[in-house]
Amino acid sequence: MFLYYIRLSMLSYKRNPVLSSLMVLAVAVGVGAFMVMFTLNYVMGGDPIPQSSDQLFHIQLDYGDPADPASQPPPQLTYRDATALLNAPFPYPRVATSKFQGVVEPENTELNPFYIDGRGSTADFFKMFDVPFAFGTGWDSVADENQQQVLVLSEALNLKLFGGENSVGRVVNLAGKSFRVIGVLENWQPAPKFYDVNNGGFSRTEEAYIPWSLIAGQRLQRAGNTSCWAPRTDNSYEAFLDSECAWVQFWVELSTREEKQAYTDYLAQYVAQERAYGRMQIPQDKRLYNVREWLVKQEVQPDETRILTALAAMLLAVCLLNTVGLLLAKFLGKASEIGVRQALGAHKGALLTQHIVEAGFLGLMGGVLGLGVSTLGLKGAKLLMGEQMNIEWMQLDPAMIVVTVALAILSSIAAGIYPTWRACSISPATHLKIQ
Amino acid sequence: MLQMRNINKRFKTSFVQTYALQDFSLHVREGEFVTVTGPSGCGKTTFLNIAGLLETFDSGAYLLDGQDVSHLSDFERAKLRNQKIGFIFQSFNLMPDLDLFDNVDVPLRYRGLGASARKEKIEKALDAVGLLARKNHLPSQLSGGQQQRVAIARALVGEPRFLLADEPTGNLDSNTAAGVMELLQEINDAGTTIIMVTHDDSLASRSARNVHILDGCLQSDVENIAPAIAG
Repeated sequence: MFLYYIRLSMLSYKRNPVLSSLMVLAVAVGVGAFMVMFTLNYVMGGDPIPQSSDQLFHIQLDYGDPADPASQPPPQLTYRDATALLNAPFPYPRVATSKFQGVVEPENTELNPFYIDGRGSTADFFKMFDVPFAFGTGWDSVADENQQQVLVLSEALNLKLFGGENSVGRVVNLAGKSFRVIGVLENWQPAPKFYDVNNGGFSRTEEAYIPWSLIAGQRLQRAGNTSCWAPRTDNSYEAFLDSECAWVQFWVELSTREEKQAYTDYLAQYVAQERAYGRMQIPQDKRLYNVREWLVKQEVQPDETRILTALAAMLLAVCLLNTVGLLLAKFLGKASEIGVRQALGAHKGALLTQHIVEAGFLGLMGGVLGLGVSTLGLKGAKLLMGEQMNIEWMQLDPAMIVVTVALAILSSIAAGIYPTWRACSISPATHLKIQ
Repeated sequence: MLQMRNINKRFKTSFVQTYALQDFSLHVREGEFVTVTGPSGCGKTTFLNIAGLLETFDSGAYLLDGQDVSHLSDFERAKLRNQKIGFIFQSFNLMPDLDLFDNVDVPLRYRGLGASARKEKIEKALDAVGLLARKNHLPSQLSGGQQQRVAIARALVGEPRFLLADEPTGNLDSNTAAGVMELLQEINDAGTTIIMVTHDDSLASRSARNVHILDGCLQSDVENIAPAIAG
């Protein structure tokens, strides 16, 4: 009977094409607008590295100015603390990382020199964050210690400099130094960019990666945020490295509860020791944040998206109310047919099913059109957000497509319940005589 | 076959209460052809709707084929309608966007028959009314008389024992009406019990049995000795 009902739904659409199209349009607009905001919310609130997000921990220490009661600890670590934590006697993978900027001078003389955003990281960065390689690999801890001039290129920069071919072994002139390419990444744009949300949770990943020790060792031009809460002893670079200025993101991978506890104890001990030297005077209850906790704490998902999602849900509700009215008009217009079907042996359950299927059929069409509306809406959002943002995630993935169509069908069925019940509750005798 | 005893049916609004049927009793035997007459608003259609289980009644008893239908659920009433009763309406009540085949198919759909069994029955019914060749036509492509024949095919396709016709010739010219009446007579001759509401006194006087209703009450119940429309 289901296929029979689908066929009747199609015939019913043809009988009242304008009314039916209005319903499809109402569902499409409501569902489409809602799915645009839901997709933004879904990705912004999503887990960028679900396979290990509960094992990767960002470190925040008891920083701040004790003279300022409103002082909040910055999200990053100082160079000296990051160095100390890197050298801590634990086997756990860990990463000290920060941004830098530099000018690339291409071998190809047709290309002008250009600025890039780069990232200095210790060796575990690629493994801990599951960074995918197209060619080559990252570096090892020896390269960190010896400040080797090695480089990993992003897919985009490799395309720009070497036409996308395997450039492992080639040399790139960056920030006035020569770096040997040892790896090329595949396209990698985690959303949110969890490992460094200091310049926005959805900024693009960097174009080149070098050992972290080179940033200080070669005094590269740092980029990203720097927070200071105490004056430096002088203006030298060494004084900056030794200062109370935080500019390093620090992550550690702790696979078990025992490891986490051991590391928590270690941090408590480390802070107590530093406090004895007059540092870290603002006590923190929590120093380890897993990925999801960190994204929440850093408020990566803006409140505006939640508000807009709520508004989109209200628009969907208005569209559905409109659909209820249109379905009521349509189904009551079919009251005589309903009466005839009852006379010929249809019980109320069969008629209810027939009309619920018809509402669902209209919802299916609205859902398909809603996918188009959502796609257009997301394209508009991409235009608004601009090229500086990582916007590759702003699209309907297969799960979202299924959710969109399912939402449209379920919404239409919900909107169809009252009209169906009303139309099927009319005594058939009323319509059989006066048709 | 059909036995109504002291049926009462009233329609109420906030201000007024109208008796459509009052202490209405009737016994129709198997194979009869009964015409029902009476002025407009006398209760003919209400009687037909109650007989066809399309409307409930307030009090009294109604046995259809020996079964008390007073307290049946909607599902049970629908099943009885589907299996035992065929309806023919004055305005044909065909579904305009279904072709003839699909119109006749409607009652069979609710009986849960398979496609091949349905096809066989539909083609047989359409053939019986002389419209098999036009099974893929829409109702709007047929004349009034042909549409009523399709409605008859739809009423008969489920092989009901009981046919209810509400002024089946009311929208037809006299020649076409005569053809439809001949068809109904053939159906009755084949054993199907028919109750037909009509305004046409000549049809009523020629039927084997005529029931006259006035103000919701059975005023007369006359059996003709030599009817033109036999029972």
